Amino acid sequence: MNGYRYDEQHTPPPARQVSDVAVERFEHIFEVDPRLMTVHVAQQLFPNWDTLRIAASRGDHLEWMHRHWAGTVLSGQELLDEIESEDGR
Amino acid sequence: MSAPQTARLTDRVLGELVDALGGEYVLTSKTARMNRARVPAPFPVHRWRERIPDLVVMPATTEEVAEVVRIANAHRIPIVPRDGGTGLTDGAVPERRGIVVDVKRMNEIKEIDLDNRTCTVGPGINMLKLNEVLARHGLIYPDDPASYPCSLVGGRIGTSGWSLVGSRYGHTRDLVLSFEMVLPTGRVIRVGDGGGRKVSKSSSGYQLKHLFMGHQGTLGIATEATLKLYPKPEAEFSPFWAFADFDSAYACLGRLARAGVATFAGAVLFDEWKVDYLRRDDEAYIPQPADVRALVCAAAYGNEDEVRAGGKRLMRVARDAGARYLGDEISQGDWAARHDRYATPLHGRTAAGQVAPMSWHCEDAAIAYTDLPAVRVHWHDIITRLRERHPVFDDWGMFFYTSADTGVDYLTEIDVGIWEQELDDAAWAAWVEAKRDIAEISLRYGGSISACHGSCREGEVDLVPMELGGGYDVMLQVKKVLDPNNIMNPGKYGLQRAYEETP
Amino acid sequence: MTETEPPTSDHAPVTMQFLSDWRNAAYNCFSSGHKFCREVCPVMQVTRNESWTPTAFHANVVAMEQGELTVEDVAEDYVNCTQCGACELRCPNTLFTGDFYRFRTRTVDLVKQMRTLAVDNDIHQPGYRHWNERTDERTHEPVLGEVPVSQDRVRDWAQGLDLPIGGETILFVDCEAAFYRTSVPRAVAQLLQRAGYDFGLMREQWCCGGPAAEMGYRDQSRRFAEHNLADWRASGVRRVLVLDPHDYITFTEDYPGYFGADFDIEIVLVVELLAGFLAEGRLTPTVPIERTITYHDPCRLNKRKGVWQEPRQILRAIPGLTFHDVDRVTQWSYCSGGGGGLPVEKPELTAKISAARLDKAAELEVDTLVSACPWSERPLAEAGEARAIDVVDLHELLAESCGIDVGGSTGR
Repeated sequence: MNGYRYDEQHTPPPARQVSDVAVERFEHIFEVDPRLMTVHVAQQLFPNWDTLRIAASRGDHLEWMHRHWAGTVLSGQELLDEIESEDGR
Repeated sequence: MSAPQTARLTDRVLGELVDALGGEYVLTSKTARMNRARVPAPFPVHRWRERIPDLVVMPATTEEVAEVVRIANAHRIPIVPRDGGTGLTDGAVPERRGIVVDVKRMNEIKEIDLDNRTCTVGPGINMLKLNEVLARHGLIYPDDPASYPCSLVGGRIGTSGWSLVGSRYGHTRDLVLSFEMVLPTGRVIRVGDGGGRKVSKSSSGYQLKHLFMGHQGTLGIATEATLKLYPKPEAEFSPFWAFADFDSAYACLGRLARAGVATFAGAVLFDEWKVDYLRRDDEAYIPQPADVRALVCAAAYGNEDEVRAGGKRLMRVARDAGARYLGDEISQGDWAARHDRYATPLHGRTAAGQVAPMSWHCEDAAIAYTDLPAVRVHWHDIITRLRERHPVFDDWGMFFYTSADTGVDYLTEIDVGIWEQELDDAAWAAWVEAKRDIAEISLRYGGSISACHGSCREGEVDLVPMELGGGYDVMLQVKKVLDPNNIMNPGKYGLQRAYEETP
Repeated sequence: MTETEPPTSDHAPVTMQFLSDWRNAAYNCFSSGHKFCREVCPVMQVTRNESWTPTAFHANVVAMEQGELTVEDVAEDYVNCTQCGACELRCPNTLFTGDFYRFRTRTVDLVKQMRTLAVDNDIHQPGYRHWNERTDERTHEPVLGEVPVSQDRVRDWAQGLDLPIGGETILFVDCEAAFYRTSVPRAVAQLLQRAGYDFGLMREQWCCGGPAAEMGYRDQSRRFAEHNLADWRASGVRRVLVLDPHDYITFTEDYPGYFGADFDIEIVLVVELLAGFLAEGRLTPTVPIERTITYHDPCRLNKRKGVWQEPRQILRAIPGLTFHDVDRVTQWSYCSGGGGGLPVEKPELTAKISAARLDKAAELEVDTLVSACPWSERPLAEAGEARAIDVVDLHELLAESCGIDVGGSTGR
């Protein structure tokens, strides 16, 4: 298995522009266009494991917050589909 | 004006306090005092030293709090109650030195009454931590501000807190049944609806609970509270919808709020400026097409069959209002992120679009539904003019949140990014003026300066007498009667007027 | 007595540099003021003292820049932190936008660097200073109290296991496991042998240097790191296995900080390796262990690194266990109190934090709390005694279930 290697951790995947102000490197993880952080605030050294840890933790936290408030979360899409099929009748 | 209130914390007074609390809980160090000076509201850092207390005490019981207050009263030393220190109107900021009474140690759960559905707690407990315990019993205390993960029960009383799910479950003033107050003389009373601890509605005597809800620590210190509990919801439903323009979003918001769905817990409208702000840096909105200009979300909680039926009704109402559903992923994720997403310093942008660290400031008026569009135009105008003169401010857009279950009024919020490090006296003065202008608009449209933070800050506090009219005189009279020596959080709300000789 | 003295800006150059480095970050936190960190902080939970919150740690920097506080004023407050990382993870500036901006809250670094600044200004905490002096004398931490540890006994834990010295892959064993809870490295070594995995022991292992860095003795930490790296290079080591989450942090954060791109050693966490062996069938636990357990997510695995799956995979593979799990997000607010030098300077605070952790376990009516961090196991075990809850290491449990007679000592 692959453990921690410095060169790998400090080589993020190449950036793909997704909007005027944002790029994407890891799948489904957006980042600010680095050109917007050149004057007042500099970016930190950010190994890959840190980006991935934060993104995964965010999802975990959101799941936790749902469960904290209720037993189940309903799907709006399901309800919309029901409405639309009822209207179709 | 009465004698100037400079605290004289003699060794004798210090000795009395140590006797009352133990030396470990009487804090004199610089760091202990400097770190109990501010709250998250914008703070003039260069004048920090004017806002630090002479002393901090950390009591553990009602009796200890009462003893501290008695000592302070006897020696005419100001007291500033401090719970979470997460309020937004400087209620917990010492403006005349004195003793900060920090009640965070008082965070016990004293009783959970499963049959009457109440719990009794110390003021220092956080609602999220409380709910982790209540979940084991299938119960919840649904007081849900944006600060839910960090605000504390005592402060919720002090500010008369507002809840994101208040349209179903009510706000702090409804959810707290009764509480113990240590009055400024040191006397301890219990306030509620009537005199019982677990009573929700009474007509016996003056209903004093509401007097102390939102007093900003000027009438005493809450030391224990009995709370109303609900079943932990079986289901949660939180649809988000997109609109091509503000007007159709606004119309939809009204219809959702007036639909009479029993499980409806709240709805929020995000205006175009807010959507622009989200587009800068919010993963859900970066990929959204240009015709997404305004958003509405709704939330419903309760038994699954009821939420399903009610939710379906809400989906139909929105669809008929021309809304485009943004999908389950955004809807569920954004609602779960409601406490966390909107106030990040690095969301600040200069006019050139560069990231700059900005502090979040939020105005929070209460405005009736029909006045929202006009208030929105005026408020953005005010901020636009402010930005033209002072580029250290940024308009982060507006939210409009239902407060009641009928859609009568909305917590109307404009978020302003402030580059605090770059503030100078001129910009600060302009900011204070903008705040006053914002508050004036709220009053012009028959609303309230504050739906939930309080209105103690420079700029808005001058208009409180105008808002309350004769009610402000009643405030002054009550203050003077309950706090004859003006020791309890003196200076807040301009209440020192109560002690001034009438000409 | 309570008059505030006039501001002073007589900071040493090293302090001025520190303030400049931390200006933006300190201001971000101070002006945000939202304190989401507070209720997840183990120190805050048991003391309720706002002076020791992550917010205060950042605010002090702003106050120092304003000339209102000096290093002398603040140094002692920074003792009150286990560097668990809950605060900086929970902070919305990390959790919601840290990856977006490649700029997150770094309270752990702040505490470490403020402690270092204190030492650089010749301000020492007595416990820290003594601990690190003794570590320097003996190249290992004084984990046996009055009984001195020594270099020539660093491999004694491996007696009878026939482990080679050196090779491309070595197993690094931290001081607490090497000298105190020797059952842990014995379990690990024998599990690796059972799985047919080639490894050796380090030629001349010194303390990793991590605790010295945590307590502010950065120069000493660096010196130890240089020694260890040189020893690895000299003996052809390419890969270092770590069984202790603290070492995992030291080797993947401190060492890269010292050596940058020159640091070309691969660091492998044993618990991830073992989970892989289970999945591949190279290890199969078959001996039932009749215990009712809950798992303690070590802070330096779960919060600091996001490692929480593999330990659970291992536990679920062990027959006979009744496992009452607590999810990894809830455990952001759990801690043993054993990290960041806290037990060295304020053992009574560590004890309170451990007691709170065991109270949580006791609510689940378990007889065993399983951890994967030797440093957590000492304070947890002490608190466990009062509640008749055994504290066991994950590796010990897995080895037992693989029919291995582990040997060694749990220190108690």
